Amino acid sequence: MLFILGSLIQGCEIKQKEILPEDGFTKIYNHPEEVLSYYPESVVELTGGGYLFVSAVKDENAEIEYPTTYLVRTSASGEVEWTMSYDWLAPSSRLIKHGNSIGFVAMNQQFEAHVVLVDPNNGNVQSEHDLEMTMPLYAYTDTQGYLVVLGYDFISRSSWISKYSADFTLQRSNKLSINTDLEYLIQRHLNKTGQDFHFFIGEYSNEAGTGYYVNCFYNYTLRTVFMDVSSLSATGDIYSFQIEEGISSFLPISGPVFGLTSYYEGNNYIIPEAEIDVNSSQNIKDLPGNPLYELTFKASVVASELTTDTESYALYTSQTNSNSIVIYQHQIEPDSLVATHHHYFDQRVMVTDVIQTSDGGVAILAGIYILGKYPRPLLIKMPADPFILP
Amino acid sequence: MKKPKSILLVVGFILSTLNISAQRGSFLDHLRIGFGGGANSSHIVVKESYNVFEDLTGSTYKNGYTGMLKNIGNQYFVQVEWFNDYIILSVKPGTYTYRFSKFNEVIFTHETAEQEVPYLLRYISIPLEARYSFDLNRFRPYAGITAAYSNLLGSHDATNQTFIRPKFTAGAVAGTYIDLRYVILDLNVGYLVGLHNITSKSNRFETGNGSTFAQDDILLNDLQISLSVLFSLQKQKHYSNVECFY
Repeated sequence: MLFILGSLIQGCEIKQKEILPEDGFTKIYNHPEEVLSYYPESVVELTGGGYLFVSAVKDENAEIEYPTTYLVRTSASGEVEWTMSYDWLAPSSRLIKHGNSIGFVAMNQQFEAHVVLVDPNNGNVQSEHDLEMTMPLYAYTDTQGYLVVLGYDFISRSSWISKYSADFTLQRSNKLSINTDLEYLIQRHLNKTGQDFHFFIGEYSNEAGTGYYVNCFYNYTLRTVFMDVSSLSATGDIYSFQIEEGISSFLPISGPVFGLTSYYEGNNYIIPEAEIDVNSSQNIKDLPGNPLYELTFKASVVASELTTDTESYALYTSQTNSNSIVIYQHQIEPDSLVATHHHYFDQRVMVTDVIQTSDGGVAILAGIYILGKYPRPLLIKMPADPFILP
Repeated sequence: MKKPKSILLVVGFILSTLNISAQRGSFLDHLRIGFGGGANSSHIVVKESYNVFEDLTGSTYKNGYTGMLKNIGNQYFVQVEWFNDYIILSVKPGTYTYRFSKFNEVIFTHETAEQEVPYLLRYISIPLEARYSFDLNRFRPYAGITAAYSNLLGSHDATNQTFIRPKFTAGAVAGTYIDLRYVILDLNVGYLVGLHNITSKSNRFETGNGSTFAQDDILLNDLQISLSVLFSLQKQKHYSNVECFY
């Protein structure tokens, strides 16, 4: 009998689905220096495994008010492999995959935007390219490999959209006049002391043509502007009340149908199927939305597409008033909310980037306030299983 | 999972060894029933540790569990025993509550924060003990082995969801019966070893509201001290300071 019990002790294990550390993890990256504040911006999954993410790091004792750039390379299971600081200021989303290099867009002390390419194996700078624009706010690489950057021109008081070839040669540029001086607000956005505006760039292709949608300041208000892919001329837009309301995320669904989230009158809204004419100017209030009362005030939302073997889904990832990260998983055609995923935390969180990983899962980059006071990066890797629905 | 089958084998083995002696008296004459309770102390053994915090400067943060002296829980159970001259089979179904805490350290230049996450796990448990006793008249010390199947009860605490429901344990027991003529006290000490990881691998990072940490793969061992009151259905032996023989 003792032998049988001994055998039980040696060999028993309740059968569970084995979750490897790289399948799913949550990691909070802490730096012991209290005077540093980390504001994560963008994450990429590296070929061969692992992640690289960029953060803006603000030192409250620094003479320069703008945050510097900080890269963290992790293993596939989220463990830190190396970190690197750069003097480039106010790095803007998103990171750029450029051959075997990873690039980020940031500015120097004269507000001149540059793209900086680094070696993902060690973080060493490989090259720097002047983008001939100022105050970069967002960078996006389109499906053709062109880099599109949104900046702010404080001389002409305009939003500045430029398109670059793969070798970062300027192809086309356009300035959208704001007609009012928003430099102070832009500065406060860049140095993380003011409102965090939801600037973004994406690409659409439908019967009306191929173009970019750019969320930026234009003609007194925060607008989603539709731009021709070649000329970068504005074809239409969705406008809101000055800068107090706006679109927080935007996703092309099919043809003229887009999914979007917005905020106005203190609430956040989701419109998973909005028919939008990219060649006309529309008021955001004409788009009836479903309220998302649980989301934080003027919540940042990341809209992304997730593809499984059989289905495509739209994911809207954000944070709630109860310190959780929430993902609304919508089936694309026909639209329906098919799942809501929550990750609870005991401190305030803020989502900044979401990518689909090579294993079909999702990686979420967010910020979290450790002990309720020190902002630090948070990386969540979710396996594919929760998103595959019966 | 072959454990239920193995436990059935153990039970069958014990019953078959007792079968011959069991036939000497009626079943009820060899039955004792009662109830009991006691305290336990959880001993957490970490199989695989996971830490939610990564230090950007390369430091490692401590990540562990409170010691046995701080992990005091309790148990309440009904006790049913079948016995013959030396062998006793005892079943003690009841609620077994375990308490322990996990702590995570996060280091800053001017402060070190230690986050403590308390656990309270309440199981419905069915322990089966096989004991060999020695008859010393009023005191009958015994030693034996035990195996238990448990099922975790639900809770509103989000961390409860990070544990799997079933739990199997096995171990050794020792103690003594104290015959008080009309009742028998059973003072019992046992150490049970967790046979498997009790946390849910798929919910390792779903630690929920009020706590930001990663769940480790752990074994829950425990030291139990119990006192039971048993009532025998058999006519009692009479022990007194003056023994009379007729």
